[in-house]
Amino acid sequence: MLKEHILGFRSLSIIGMCKNAGKTTVLNRIIRELRDEPMTLALTSIGRDGEAVDVVTGTAKPGIYVYEGSLVATARDMLRFCDATREIVGTTPYSTPLGDVVIFRARGDGGVQLAGPSMTAQLIELTNAFETLGADMTVIDGALSRKSLCAPAVSEATVLCTGASYSRSIDTLVGDTAFAAKLLTLPRQTLWSGAEAGDPQAPKVRLRRKDGTVLIPPEGKSLAQALRAPENRDVAGVFISGALTEATLRPVLQGGADIAGVEFAALDGSRLLIGRDAYDKLALRGAKLAVARPVRVAAVAVNPVSACGFDMDPAELLARMREAVDVPVLDVMNEDGGLL
Amino acid sequence: MRHEFERNIGFRYAIDLLEPASPYGRAKIAGLRFFSPDERPELERQLQNVVRTLHHLAPLAPEYEKISLYMMPLKDIRRSVEMCREAALSETELFELKRFCLQSVLISPVFARIRDASGIEGIDIRAQEEALGLLDPENARAATFFLPDASSKALLAIRKEKRALEEKLRRAADRDERARLMAERAAVAAREDVEESRLRAEICEGLRPHIDGILRCMDGIANFDFTLARAKLAAAYGGCAVEFSRNEVEFVDMRNPRVADALKERGGSFTPVSISAGPGAALITGANMGGKSVALKTLALNALLVKAGLLPFAKSARLPLFEEIFLVAEDGEDVGRGLSSFGAEIVRFNEMLSRALRAKGVCLLLLDEFARGTNPEEGALIARAVTRRLNGLPHVGVLTTHYDGVARYAKLHYEVAGLRDMDVAAVAREIAANRGDGVRVIARHMNYGLYRAQGRESCPRDARNVCMLLGMDAEILKDIAAQE
Repeated sequence: MLKEHILGFRSLSIIGMCKNAGKTTVLNRIIRELRDEPMTLALTSIGRDGEAVDVVTGTAKPGIYVYEGSLVATARDMLRFCDATREIVGTTPYSTPLGDVVIFRARGDGGVQLAGPSMTAQLIELTNAFETLGADMTVIDGALSRKSLCAPAVSEATVLCTGASYSRSIDTLVGDTAFAAKLLTLPRQTLWSGAEAGDPQAPKVRLRRKDGTVLIPPEGKSLAQALRAPENRDVAGVFISGALTEATLRPVLQGGADIAGVEFAALDGSRLLIGRDAYDKLALRGAKLAVARPVRVAAVAVNPVSACGFDMDPAELLARMREAVDVPVLDVMNEDGGLL
Repeated sequence: MRHEFERNIGFRYAIDLLEPASPYGRAKIAGLRFFSPDERPELERQLQNVVRTLHHLAPLAPEYEKISLYMMPLKDIRRSVEMCREAALSETELFELKRFCLQSVLISPVFARIRDASGIEGIDIRAQEEALGLLDPENARAATFFLPDASSKALLAIRKEKRALEEKLRRAADRDERARLMAERAAVAAREDVEESRLRAEICEGLRPHIDGILRCMDGIANFDFTLARAKLAAAYGGCAVEFSRNEVEFVDMRNPRVADALKERGGSFTPVSISAGPGAALITGANMGGKSVALKTLALNALLVKAGLLPFAKSARLPLFEEIFLVAEDGEDVGRGLSSFGAEIVRFNEMLSRALRAKGVCLLLLDEFARGTNPEEGALIARAVTRRLNGLPHVGVLTTHYDGVARYAKLHYEVAGLRDMDVAAVAREIAANRGDGVRVIARHMNYGLYRAQGRESCPRDARNVCMLLGMDAEILKDIAAQE
């Protein structure tokens, strides 16, 4: 069962490595497994999943099936694609291309289509509003891939969905998924206070010396240049506000700076836009990667069936994935979830 | 240009200080309009309401706080209410309308207590009970919108059927059976949708006779909210009641919030401006940096505030409801329009004069350092001629000038005291002690008060003192002294 890995979290996000990773299947399974628990579930998404509605024909693809009592936040124009009997309980000022986000309570079982707010601050507010309305757990559908990376930042735990649609090669699929999970679950950084890490006005790059003083590279100086400077030999760590990209990291890796033991930190896993190669090189040079807000990956869900008819052997995929990650792995197409 | 004028005199600043509680009040302020002379009865009623509210802010504080709290969650839904005249509303729109009606039930009794205690007139906020009854047939008073099963026999039957299918679906394990049940359920859900639409249309039909009442209620809230915001602003910055006259202006201790706030930020304080003037030209002369322009802008601001239905910031105010208010002053815009500042000034003056000559009512004509941009001899000639021309008009004109020999043609002559009573040596020592921050020190010693000039015609000679105190080149100063 998936629910034993997620019960107790106030909020949970579901994100996918690609389309057809089985996100909706996982979401439906969570709703189903929690149906008979004495709890109120609240549902929304970050932005809108592009697959949900064919805007041209106005028809909805199979949606999410909720049970009576659940709370749902979605855009005004999506209500006509929801066939659960509902009671409107609130409106919000969060606007989307499909109208403002409204909140309803399902007064019966039925299908819903999610199109929630796209800003993380709004999602946090919405989670609080859900709780005021009696929600015990908010589940956030991560929607489109890039944005979905923000969803873990606003939820306590996340379920990472992946599947045969990602790649024909099982090695690539398993390797990239394990890497994504690793980035999401990087250890908590050790050198910066919460206020320092979350400061929206902070410069893009800050260095901390071993004596605790903070050093900001002068205008026009890159991170690599700052780390190479002989007077900066005693740097204990670097904090990147915004995204830590390959472009920032490559000169550091190619230059001669001694980065053994240096901690490279960003706000959360969604800000680390680096590939496995750069990650491995960092590790090889003895540097550490960390985040201010670690995300808990509650489980990895794999879908052995791809959208274009190419399937992987479920047993092999499960076994390989379990070897590669140290969180529970389940097969979304298998009724018992392969978790037995 | 109108906008530039409003910004320039601090009118926009004052309006931005208004803090309405509801979007209805905000919309009222966004659409702020100026009263024309023939709308005086309505303006007087509104100003009276603001004064009465101002006087009751303290004794009725808990009531005002309560009603503000009730107004705050309101949404401006006038568009969907208007739409309801012709079409059926969606469930979200009906939800919002129900929320409004529920709030109106809370607001109305508090408003009635405030109205009876403060004596405000011409505003009414009625609880929308009848409309609420249609939106809440079971009288549950829940702040949600839901069509109960009992709304119609058809809905009851459909929901029963749908629930039974959903119950079966919960237990069905077989994939094919689930698919069959899902399809069956979808068909029932479609029927539910049709029936719910019909019921919503029925509700909207029932609401139609109440739409005017709902919109009147929203207007009442807008007017009350705007009144309360105006009273609070008057309380914060010292607003007073207005006595309307035919063609005489008499302000005591006017203030200008924008200038006052800016001075306060720098540790200074605003010197209130008092002025009276009638038809013809009144003249303000005085030192550089002495606040002549501020005095003029403060007069423009307060006259315009009254025209917009706000209380002026003053101890007392007597003025006509001006047909138009003009200020011809140098500002940064001219350069962008490709005119020399002098040319732009003349163009504006012409426009002002031609409109004033056509006006049926009384106008306020304000000229700041008119013709300052040209040579002093000609400038003085122009200023004198303009003063004489304004004297012949039925409008209230106020000019500031540097030029000598203008005052004798003005009906009234004011002087900014400026540095007249200053101990120059003492100020020089203070500047030295302040490491040369001369502008600030001089500003502190400047007497910004406006005084009636007693028979003096020439302008004060403060400019040389200012040059000296600000450390102008010694040779130049010596030369100036030698020429005198």
